[in-house]
Amino acid sequence: MIVSSTTILLIIGMGLVTYATRVGGYLLLRNYSLNKKQAQMMQIAPGCVFISIIVPEFLTGTTGDILALCVTIIAALKLGMLGTIIIAMCSAFTFNWLLLNLF
Amino acid sequence: MISSNPGSLPVPLTHSWSSFCEGIKTALPIVLGFIPVAFMLGAEAAQKDFNSLLIMFLTMVNFAGGSEFAAIELWSSPPAVLFILFVTLMVNSRHLIMGATLAPYIKNLPKRIKFTTLFFMADEVWALSMQDIQRRSVQASTLAPFRFDFYMGIGITLYITWSTFAGIGAHYGNQLGDLHQYGLHMAFPAMFIAILFSMWQTKSDALPWAISALSAAVAFYVLPGGWYVIIGTLSGMLTVYIRS
Repeated sequence: MIVSSTTILLIIGMGLVTYATRVGGYLLLRNYSLNKKQAQMMQIAPGCVFISIIVPEFLTGTTGDILALCVTIIAALKLGMLGTIIIAMCSAFTFNWLLLNLF
Repeated sequence: MISSNPGSLPVPLTHSWSSFCEGIKTALPIVLGFIPVAFMLGAEAAQKDFNSLLIMFLTMVNFAGGSEFAAIELWSSPPAVLFILFVTLMVNSRHLIMGATLAPYIKNLPKRIKFTTLFFMADEVWALSMQDIQRRSVQASTLAPFRFDFYMGIGITLYITWSTFAGIGAHYGNQLGDLHQYGLHMAFPAMFIAILFSMWQTKSDALPWAISALSAAVAFYVLPGGWYVIIGTLSGMLTVYIRS
């Protein structure tokens, strides 16, 4: 392929935008010290970020994907990261295959 | 509430090889999740005429998976530059909150260290490091909560994995057909669910988490880009604020 200068510049631009989002929150908060209530809010943030990121998976997936997500949640209760990921992929493959080939 | 802190000097940093290795070890299970997802990114990029080098360049400059999938999805020839930059900003706006939570722990470190830390602040790197910070804060008040070497052990491991397998995906992905049929795409939510469960601390987390999920779901349908992550996160944080 011929890589155009637009492509390269856009990629660099994406990098700059992303880096700006990473530095921005830090720059805003570096001169504040949080009180207890604010610290509690910050403590809940990671979980809320992760929940929010995966919500669309439950809303837009195929039926097989959503069944697989339910299995994944149960797997995550018992297993570590590795086991959870493997179960998730295998169950998505299985459910999607079954739904495609049996119904 | 504003502490100007004029006298605080950067904390001297001693590097610890064992912390770095501990970071690598912590990242290993996530590597397994990154491999299929990065491979898929590469395969999708190949359909938009990206070769391996170009997608590796993108992942190394940007290092934020969600925005890379969005950009590739929207990529046309020639690409709509401003639109893709705008979507990148939207999808990655959650970094603002993430950087803010990290701020108190890194603000006294040397500039070079701080801005390197922020460059590698992908979701998983940030989440695992925040867990380490919380663990160390509970353990002893004398420990410095943030460990740069641990953080970089995770960051560099995931950075190399992500970019390498995106490159491999661009090279081989086309030969395998639609990768969704293999269930590879499920590695991404599985990874997030597993990390999420490890974040669970007390029963009191349940309500803010539920509020987060609900408001993110609503925002996902009514707002563009990655705003649902911001709305979902802020709603959860607001729940804690109102309750406490």
